[in-house]
Amino acid sequence: VTAHRVASLAEVPVSGALMVSVNDLEIGLFRVADQILAWRNHCPHMAAPVCRGLVTGTRLPSAVYCYELGLEGRVLQCPWHGWEFDLLTGAHLAGGSSARLRGYPVEVRGDDVFIHTRV
Amino acid sequence: MIIQCSTMITDRRDLSATVDTDVHQALPDLLPFLPRQWRDQWHSTGLGTSTGYTNPRGVQRRDARPPSGGPAASDPLFLISDHLDRYQIDYAVLTGPFVLPLGTDPDYLNAIAAAVNDATVTDWLSVSDRFRGSILINSDDPPAAAREIRRLGSRHDMVQVLMASTTRQPCGQRPYRLIYEAAAEHDLPIALHPGAEGAGLAAPPTPVGWPSRYLEWHNILPLTAMAQLNSLVCEGIFVAFPTLRVVITEGGLSWLPHLMWRMDKNYKALRDTAPWLTRLPSDYVKDHVRLTTQPVEEPDQPEYLEQVLIMMDAGRTVMFSSDYPHWDNDNPRVLFRRLDAQLRARIMGGTAAELYGLDHPPRPESLPPFETIRSRNATRPSVEHE
Repeated sequence: VTAHRVASLAEVPVSGALMVSVNDLEIGLFRVADQILAWRNHCPHMAAPVCRGLVTGTRLPSAVYCYELGLEGRVLQCPWHGWEFDLLTGAHLAGGSSARLRGYPVEVRGDDVFIHTRV
Repeated sequence: MIIQCSTMITDRRDLSATVDTDVHQALPDLLPFLPRQWRDQWHSTGLGTSTGYTNPRGVQRRDARPPSGGPAASDPLFLISDHLDRYQIDYAVLTGPFVLPLGTDPDYLNAIAAAVNDATVTDWLSVSDRFRGSILINSDDPPAAAREIRRLGSRHDMVQVLMASTTRQPCGQRPYRLIYEAAAEHDLPIALHPGAEGAGLAAPPTPVGWPSRYLEWHNILPLTAMAQLNSLVCEGIFVAFPTLRVVITEGGLSWLPHLMWRMDKNYKALRDTAPWLTRLPSDYVKDHVRLTTQPVEEPDQPEYLEQVLIMMDAGRTVMFSSDYPHWDNDNPRVLFRRLDAQLRARIMGGTAAELYGLDHPPRPESLPPFETIRSRNATRPSVEHE
């Protein structure tokens, strides 16, 4: 596993992605509250550039005809089919689906953001 | 302007062509192509109606907007680089920003159809030989639709007639024969495309009424395709017009075996009620009907879909489509990866090349530095396909 310095902490936006690349791998860096997360820019559904999607909230699972908003700023919505992923876990937010984003460990050292990859 | 070919780019003409049979070019400003008497109406109301069903994500892919500005797929050069070159697609069959809903004023809808067609010729077909156009018609006015087909039908770069899947009556019935006659005269397939289900004066999107939300509306769109195919076959359209081909665009695939089996079973018992049918209905379908792939069904087990493809004789009946730049587009790199190579080649372009007469794929263009072909101020947002 190799640590790659990919950005300074200040470069990671409050909302949306900072796109970085490690070798030929496109990775989106996201900030959720005080965490930095790194997800591969590749939707597990149709290989869309998922990190170019909207960061938003969603309607949470609810009782029939009840609507409850939540997860604001924590949901990445794929720009193609709208699949929603939890930015903290990478999980596809659809019961019954096992799809998930591929992520990479992130380490913040001072003002520097490092991604750990196998390449 | 036709972009010059580059000799530096690999010549792929020895390979099977890849044909995308459903690419939605945007036409953000139709005003210059509309007669003056319709411009105010277009400016203020556009098509004047919609289905009422809204995709909360939006219909257009947000990553497909050209860097020069404007809506997705509004810039031919960007579309070439962002879609055709990225996926090594030889041809795009352009299907426009919308199909025409059933409205109240046939003169207005006829004018819009002609404007869409003229804008497509001027702004798109003149740019690249890799684009092929569809002649949009207002099928609710068959004599006018036939005139529009004859106006443009001799152009080599117009390869099909495009109409909404929704019609006032089942589309195999008599009023629409004028359309098929004109299409057959020019050897043009008729493409049925969804998007106007429930819009304007159309019947409800399902036989049991109006779904509550876009999700349900979109789920059930193949109902229209099934109803129209049933009508076309049973009304004897393919007997009356033996060279006519029909393309069912964006209507799904997996229902076809079911419908063919059901039609064949009933034909065996009730043939005499449609005595002009002298072959199994499924035979007419396989000879005359082509379905486009997107949005392809995605069963948990991919082999289920492969079985369906075999059931429907997909090497003859199925053509790849992406639906670029719409939200539910399919990625050609991901589609049918496990499929037999020959069958996949038929689906990805062989069948479409035969249908549309696309024998010699042009070389990819050597694109100049990215710039817009034409920059117009959009004056009216387009109503879009689903």
